[in-house]
Amino acid sequence: MVDIGLFTQIVINGLLLGGIYVTIGVGFSLAFGVLEVVDFAVGEYVMVGAFMGAVLAPVFGSEGIFAIPIVLVVFFALGALIQPLIHHVTTGDRPHPLLMGLVFTFGLATFLRGSVLTIFGPNNRDVPSSLLTGGVTIPGLGTFPVVRTVTAVFGVSGLIVFMYYLYRTRGGMAIRAIAEDRTNARLMGININRYQSIAYGAYAALTGSAGVFIGMTFTANPGMGLQYTAFAFFMVVLAGMGYLPGVIIAGIVLGLTQSFTAVYISGNVVLLVLFAIIYGVLLVSPAGILGKGEWAT
Amino acid sequence: MTDAVPFLDRIPGARRYWYVGIGALLLVWPMVFGNFWARIGIGALMWIGLAQSWNMIGGYAGYLDFGHGAYFGIGAFAAGIAMVQFGYPFLVGFALAIVVSAAVSYLVAVPTLRLTGAYFAIATWAFAESMKQAALVTGITGGTFGLSLPRSPDTLIGVAVPFEIAETFFYYAMLALCLGTMALTYYLFERNEFGYRVKAMRDDQDAAESLGIDTTRVKRQVYVLSCMVAAVFGSVHAWYIVYIHPNDVLAPIITDRMVIMALLGGLGTLTGPVAGGLLVFLLERLSSVFLGSTTFYLPLIGTLIMITVLFAPSGIIGILRGEVDRGDVRRNVKELGEKFDLL
Repeated sequence: MVDIGLFTQIVINGLLLGGIYVTIGVGFSLAFGVLEVVDFAVGEYVMVGAFMGAVLAPVFGSEGIFAIPIVLVVFFALGALIQPLIHHVTTGDRPHPLLMGLVFTFGLATFLRGSVLTIFGPNNRDVPSSLLTGGVTIPGLGTFPVVRTVTAVFGVSGLIVFMYYLYRTRGGMAIRAIAEDRTNARLMGININRYQSIAYGAYAALTGSAGVFIGMTFTANPGMGLQYTAFAFFMVVLAGMGYLPGVIIAGIVLGLTQSFTAVYISGNVVLLVLFAIIYGVLLVSPAGILGKGEWAT
Repeated sequence: MTDAVPFLDRIPGARRYWYVGIGALLLVWPMVFGNFWARIGIGALMWIGLAQSWNMIGGYAGYLDFGHGAYFGIGAFAAGIAMVQFGYPFLVGFALAIVVSAAVSYLVAVPTLRLTGAYFAIATWAFAESMKQAALVTGITGGTFGLSLPRSPDTLIGVAVPFEIAETFFYYAMLALCLGTMALTYYLFERNEFGYRVKAMRDDQDAAESLGIDTTRVKRQVYVLSCMVAAVFGSVHAWYIVYIHPNDVLAPIITDRMVIMALLGGLGTLTGPVAGGLLVFLLERLSSVFLGSTTFYLPLIGTLIMITVLFAPSGIIGILRGEVDRGDVRRNVKELGEKFDLL
């Protein structure tokens, strides 16, 4: 017998979680499109963002949400500075440029995780927020926790701004041109170094601030990044490579999967369930659940 | 008629004396230097072997397996489960490690080797994480309590053996496995048609296909083989350290180490993982002696990976062979500087 109240509550939690995952997934997918690199460090950006929230919140009177502007600026700068390094290792006359890019971000991820672990130790840290407490209960449906709702609203609005930039401005057009064909974009007079830095910086900024919200919803831990890298990967595989609308659906599926698994099986086996789903999707439909992405082969 | 020439005579000039010297040193190592250095030797040999196993799939085949540590853990738990839960001697656990790792890696290979290299890397890595989660919640692996393996003289083959199962035994076991791994790599990848097929697949998959190479099959063979090697080392390691826990033998740092050892030494070379493995292992031991037991080696390893990829992608072996010189580094820095163009 399924408890209807519990069921709708799980759906609400899952949808709200999905909102923030979509932000991470779209950025990850775009980084792949523009830089042709699968960014292994994506989860570590989430983790570092959460820790920045934990460190900055006391400065603003235990209010993590005020850390967001600082996190956005810092991560944009960080991303814009890291991008040339990634671009450098994936181009030029070196053997296996794509694999080198992957190894590089793998090293970056290890560096970020290890640094935070060394500085803060292995324990959980809270990202406090006094404004975002409690929840709004809608009879017959369930409770909308304020933190998760604001998180989802942030995720979706961040996504909309990002999409607007990408599809309605000249800069966004330049970025899409680079994603399509880097050499031709350069021939058209696009400063590819600059726009790649902007794209990667924007992606890092969104991911890092998503990390602050994730820290507020759950907690900040040096080991948490691994999980979000797996989530980002799950979304692009489920969506089909390079198919952005699919990422949105995949993010929601991910949120729902996580909350259902946590309640009905165990919170400790989320990755196991996700891997099982990926395994099945790759066997049955390598172009994603909607079958509209490029083949993963 | 090279076959008629004795092995040593095929090695040119003074190098043969080095080979004999190093060989003799390896053989007498634990007897001359005692248990402390035997333990250092065990660790170094194990990591060289593991780095080589990663090099098979990551270096020779060009498929980055970021979940390779999972097979080390699978091997460790296969031995542990056989000995603790079923009371079998170690050799049964050893065999089980080989069989289980082969079966699991085959099942993983079927869908994930469809992916391009980059997605294969994350898929295998997600697999490793899910293995750790599975081991933590399953009863047979001891869950969060881990497993304590028995090490009395009758646990090797079922009847008591006339020698002590301690450092010296494990040193020679690791030596045999490490040399076996080296010989296997040398034979399969450097002296065999199979090696050419693998390298052709790595360098250009479509061209290799057009030459009639079944690349899917080749990839799968290399992957399963390298996973079995990692599992073998895992099973011996489990018995050596006596107590295994999912957070130790399935930790992501195990894969991290294999990657940096093979990469720093030189991907796709026979001697690269040896050089990289020795260097990273000794650096880590030294840092733990001088800095105490800290997590500082993690950012250190991360930085090493990034610098290697940026400035010396062919690793120590590449530098020794003269593939990377000072001019290359200078050119690299200059080109890198030009890419910073935000304002």
